[in-house]
Parts: sequence; structure tokens; C-alpha cells
Amino acid sequence: MCTGAQRISLANLFWTFFRIGLMTFGGGVAMAAVMRYELVLKRQWLSEDDFLSAMSTATAVPGVIAVNLAFLQGQRFGGLPGAGAAVLGTICPSFFVILLIVGFALPYFDHPTVAAFLKGCAVAVSGQIAFATYTFARRVRRNWRTGLACAVGLTVVLSGLHPIWAVVTAAGLSYFLQEPNGSVGINDSEQSQGSGLRSQGQVTSAKQEGDA
Amino acid sequence: MSQTLSSLFVSFCLIGIGAYGGGLVTVPLIQHEITENHDWLSQPEMGRIVAIAQMTPGPIAINAATFVGYRVAGIGGAVVATTAVVLPSITILFVLSHIVGRVRSSESLARFRTGMHTGVLSLLLFAVWSYGRGVIAAAPELGIAVAAFLALVAFDRRIHPLIVIVAAGLVGLLVF
Repeated sequence: MCTGAQRISLANLFWTFFRIGLMTFGGGVAMAAVMRYELVLKRQWLSEDDFLSAMSTATAVPGVIAVNLAFLQGQRFGGLPGAGAAVLGTICPSFFVILLIVGFALPYFDHPTVAAFLKGCAVAVSGQIAFATYTFARRVRRNWRTGLACAVGLTVVLSGLHPIWAVVTAAGLSYFLQEPNGSVGINDSEQSQGSGLRSQGQVTSAKQEGDA
Repeated sequence: MSQTLSSLFVSFCLIGIGAYGGGLVTVPLIQHEITENHDWLSQPEMGRIVAIAQMTPGPIAINAATFVGYRVAGIGGAVVATTAVVLPSITILFVLSHIVGRVRSSESLARFRTGMHTGVLSLLLFAVWSYGRGVIAAAPELGIAVAAFLALVAFDRRIHPLIVIVAAGLVGLLVF
């Protein structure tokens, strides 16, 4: 499927992504950092450019970023079976850790001490969501267009419709309100990363041959 | 039982589609599906799930899907919910990787991304309100939430966010 990329065994793919899944807390961008360390720096399967390109594709589609990245890299190194192995490897650690917690720790959740601890954590998460919103808002180009689109989206979800409609409405409105010259976009670095899937598999092989 | 499994599947597919940007963006969607659309779990339990999902390895959406699926319908539910949450994006990527050469246009991609970012921002603002309303009942909770937010802003990139969450848990031991 991807000519120019080396083949990596399914077991190796699974194990690599299993390690990545196990070592990441919080997912998303945190997991991208671990993945970059494991794939680009430690194993040198990918170049920095290839990783950024995959990252931009993984974040351009909906869903769990880490799983999207695993799918792209797995497909690159082992076709569809490789993609399956990488995705399974990413999911398995969280799946089994959660089952262990639910299986063994759930009875203790109602113990007053544990409940108080978890309540404190849950309340702090609301602060964390506010923080995520704050950092996200700083990255979005702010003008009356995005402000209007965002306000409409918020109105949609507050009126009781499914939250997905807020995303669809605000995204659609913002898409069509933008100036056609394409100058309205994400601030700074992100704008230059829109090269998508296509550029994968072209830079890496050359770099790795140089190393070997 | 099988009806529960199929509603789990549909709910988590929706969550998987709506979770653009990953991480905490999934929280309002999960909350809507779990506590409002289906009445599967109570709001306090939802708060616990998110807190535990934050403290365990792996993406939050996967952790939450496994947790909710198991609570609603046992192991089978955990497998169905976890599969459903990743299925939409994998399908999209699979299709996209075959046709991307033709649809790739960096201008429309940039517009699309700005559009989606705006959409996600409205969702996040909603999440602050809806999740906050669920867990903040009185002054102590509000104090912890505001302190956590300020700590995260103050120590951005210098400490792991998990430290703030665990510290709030320890404060919770004293307060609640």
C-alpha cells in the first residue's frame, strides 16, 4: 500500500503501540508526544516531517487522535492488518486497566474516604475543562466571524439539541463565513501543516537509508 | 439486553464522530448520551468516570467507553462501546487514505479545520457549563474548580496536569 516504507511485523507493531498506550495519561496531545518519542526518536521508523504530516491528518478527522495516529502508522508499515494491530495495541492497555479497576476497585468507590478523593478529582476536572477551553480559544483565530459561529453553536446546544449539532452548525457557519483567500485560519504553525496523507512515505525512506 | 448493546453501539458511534480534537471534547458528548439521552448513569458517577479516565493510561474516550459499557452491560458492553467509539474515525481514515489525493486542497482543508475548531470551541464552552453545573454544588466545589483552573494556567507546561487533579483529590479528603 505504501511503497517506500519499511515493513514491520504485526507483533512488533502491536507491542510498540501497546507500550505507547500504556505510558500515556490523558490521551490526545499527550499521547502524540509519547508516540513521537517512540516512533521518531527511539525507533526511527519515521522522520519528523512524516510524523507532523500524520498528526495533521489524524487531527483533521473526528475521533480519538491517538487511535487515528495508530491507524495511519500501522497502515503505513503493515497495510490493513498492520493498522488493525496498531489500533488494538493502542486500545488494549486502557481497556484492560479500566476492566481491572471496575472489577476490583469499584466496591471501594463508595467508601467515604475514596468517594471524597474522587469527588475532589471530579471537581478539579471542571477546572481542567475550563483550562482546555482557554488554551483552545487562544489557538483559534478570533474575529467576529468565528465569534458569531461559536455563539450560534452554543445557542444550538443550550436549546437542548444534541451537542453534535452545535459542532456541525458552528463548523459549517465558520467554514462559509471565512474569507475566500484562505488567510483566516489557525494561528501560527498549524496553518502550514495541511499537507495531509499524501506526503507520507516519501521523506522517511531517504532519511533512513542515510542512517543505515 | 441486545437492545441495550445496540443503543450502546449507536451512542458511542455518535461520541466517536463528535469527538473532534479528542481528549476532553468527548466529555460533553459522553455526558449527554449517558446521563441525559439514556439515563444509564448518574451525574456523580459520570464525574467519577471522567476523573478515573484521566488518572489511568490511554485516551479518555477509550477509558470512558470501556467503563460505561461495562457498567451498563458487562464485558460485552465494554467491548461494544470501545469498538463503537473508534469505528467511525477508522472508517473515515480508511476511506480518506484512498481518495485523499483528489480531495487534498490545502486551502479548503485550512477552512475546514478552522470551521471544525470553531465548532469544537462552542462544544467546549458548553462542556464548562454543563459539566461544571453537574459537579459544582456549593462554594467548596467552586473554590476547588477555580483553584484547579488557576493552577493549570499558572503552571502550564511545567507540571503534569494529573498532579493538579490528584492534589484536588487530596483537598477533597479534607473538605468533603
